Amino acid sequence: MIEGHNPAPLLSVENLTKRYGREGAAIDRVAFSALPGEILGIIGPNGAGKTTLLEAIAGLLPVDSGEIFWRGEPLGLARRRDAIFYLPDAVRPYRDQSTLQVLSFIAGVFRRSDREVGEAVAELGLQPALGKRVYALSKGYARRLMLAVGLLAPHPLLLMDEPFDGFDLRQTHDIVGVLRNQTTHGRTLILSIHQLADAERVCDRLILLSAGRVRGIGSLAELRAETGLPAGSLEDIFLAIT
Amino acid sequence: MQSREPNLRATASIVPLLTKEFAEIAAGRALWTMLLLVCPLVGYSFVEAVSLYSESSSAATQSPVLARSLSPLDGVLVPTFGSFYVAVTLLFPFVAIRVLGQEKESGALYLLVQLPYRYATLVTAKLCAILAALCMVSIPAVSAIAIWAILGGHLAATETLNLVFGHLLYGLLVGAVGLFAAVISDSSSTAAIMALALTIGSWVLDFTLAGRSGLSSWLAQMSLTQTLRPFEQGLLSLGLVLGIAAVIFGLATLTVVWLPPGVSARVKIVRSLSCLLAIVLALGVAAQVRTSIDVSEDRRNSFSSADEALLAKFRLPLIISVNLVPEDPRYIDLRRNVLSKLERAMPNVTVVLVNGRRSIAESSDAYGQIEYAYGGRTDRSRSTSPREILPLVYALAGLAPPMPGSGDEYPGYPLVVSADAALLWFLGGLPVLIALAWWWARRLPSIKPACLHEGGKP
Repeated sequence: MIEGHNPAPLLSVENLTKRYGREGAAIDRVAFSALPGEILGIIGPNGAGKTTLLEAIAGLLPVDSGEIFWRGEPLGLARRRDAIFYLPDAVRPYRDQSTLQVLSFIAGVFRRSDREVGEAVAELGLQPALGKRVYALSKGYARRLMLAVGLLAPHPLLLMDEPFDGFDLRQTHDIVGVLRNQTTHGRTLILSIHQLADAERVCDRLILLSAGRVRGIGSLAELRAETGLPAGSLEDIFLAIT
Repeated sequence: MQSREPNLRATASIVPLLTKEFAEIAAGRALWTMLLLVCPLVGYSFVEAVSLYSESSSAATQSPVLARSLSPLDGVLVPTFGSFYVAVTLLFPFVAIRVLGQEKESGALYLLVQLPYRYATLVTAKLCAILAALCMVSIPAVSAIAIWAILGGHLAATETLNLVFGHLLYGLLVGAVGLFAAVISDSSSTAAIMALALTIGSWVLDFTLAGRSGLSSWLAQMSLTQTLRPFEQGLLSLGLVLGIAAVIFGLATLTVVWLPPGVSARVKIVRSLSCLLAIVLALGVAAQVRTSIDVSEDRRNSFSSADEALLAKFRLPLIISVNLVPEDPRYIDLRRNVLSKLERAMPNVTVVLVNGRRSIAESSDAYGQIEYAYGGRTDRSRSTSPREILPLVYALAGLAPPMPGSGDEYPGYPLVVSADAALLWFLGGLPVLIALAWWWARRLPSIKPACLHEGGKP
């Protein structure tokens, strides 16, 4: 959590809008900033536009309007993948390969050593799944594999879509520790989370997204103050704002 | 692990990418299933071809004249590779589509396009995997060549290599079509329908429009099947090779254009139109390249060496006005026996179809006449045989026909042999080896101790 003075934002999103055909906007003039070393949570119900927003920031979805800035400079599509790495939800990459083969591939691409792969495997408890093919992994191990891919990627900013989906309470707690450890190394994380309790536990700041629009931004304390609910849970705040 | 600053592309090695592509294509069922299907297909064609060749040979062993017409290229290699061509046309798109389609369907494409490689590098790696797969599926056909040699059959290296090269080019073209179909489709099944529509559509074009004139003839020329014909006739045409390479490169470029998911469809369409224009221009340039090499051992695409040497000395333009419609069998004979050989042998030949837009039914008395003009002198003939036409051309130039050279005659290679035992290889030995290779390719690698880092969670 960043405290004291406000550092310059690492990433700034300005008026990002995406429409699918003639339907209304999936995200509508979304604007926010992410600070270095923080965990920023995007929360909202299903269909709020969380995934669309992450994909648009990562440059994996064409947008209708809006701009992305990196340390105050415009971040074009070509440079986007040098700075940002996005972990999509419900993806099982290279299903016929083993977990170890997928990790070796990613490690080879990013020039990570066997020791670094071993550290990521250990942090995420992936040892039992290393010799299994990706299609045979349980939902939880498939999620850990994706997280391991994220840990091996060297990008300063990680976008994660529903990183706790498929984990029980204890596993979620462990994964929160892993993510927190990443921020101590200077990484910034933007997480899309639909479980409000998880978001409350892990995020430094929160973006409340509903029907494609930002309804509130701030730390839990700031949001409580904004809504006049000094002891309110994130759920109470979300219901009050939306 | 320490985070690094941006600018990763300069340091990314292509080796892991290529390794991943090869592992992915080898892990899929499509490649191995195709290999297993190609075995009996090629094997049966080979055995049948050898059987027919053997029957013809038994009559030719007593007659050198008959023997001269027996070429292993026509009798054995082309029919054997013909079945390989059918397999590549119908099955190889599925192998090629998987190279990209699997990633699109599983969502792994989102990871792939974020890796620090240029999109062109990603597509090139996929094309390399497709080429490797093509080499693998050609193993049964290549083994048929080896069996033919073991049986005592004659092989001319240049014409054999030329045929194999032609089939590899054709396969790569089909693979590039599959790759492009995969990138523009939401699912592999849609991509397969699109790719097969093109490859099978080529057959339809070939069968229904071949031998016709005008637009039909031009459309028939667009058939993918046409690309193999010169290779099967022992001709290595530089223009054709350049044309196929241009289309493969163009399809790969179109795949690069459509690969990034973050670019709008409108931008992709504009870039595609530019790319299509470049392909058409490249094809136009390739069509102007007339250089070709007759690699057939019987020199079926050339006149005798003496004639070629003399014809090469003609410096003035030879203008041939042909009063025939293109679909007339006489014109087809004339083109094959005389015109194409003259175009290859002489520096300056112009062929004009004076009756090109009419049909045979509208023909006049002059129909069938062919006029030759050289250096202000003209002569006419109705023959389609080089034995009559070459002396006529020499007379126009005021030259005496050359003396027939000795040792120029193709001897022919009759061989009476049975290849029935080869079926054991194609239906038994080779499929078993392929199944073993499949099992070997699907083995999981051993886990390195470094990956089982101590202190991890159980």
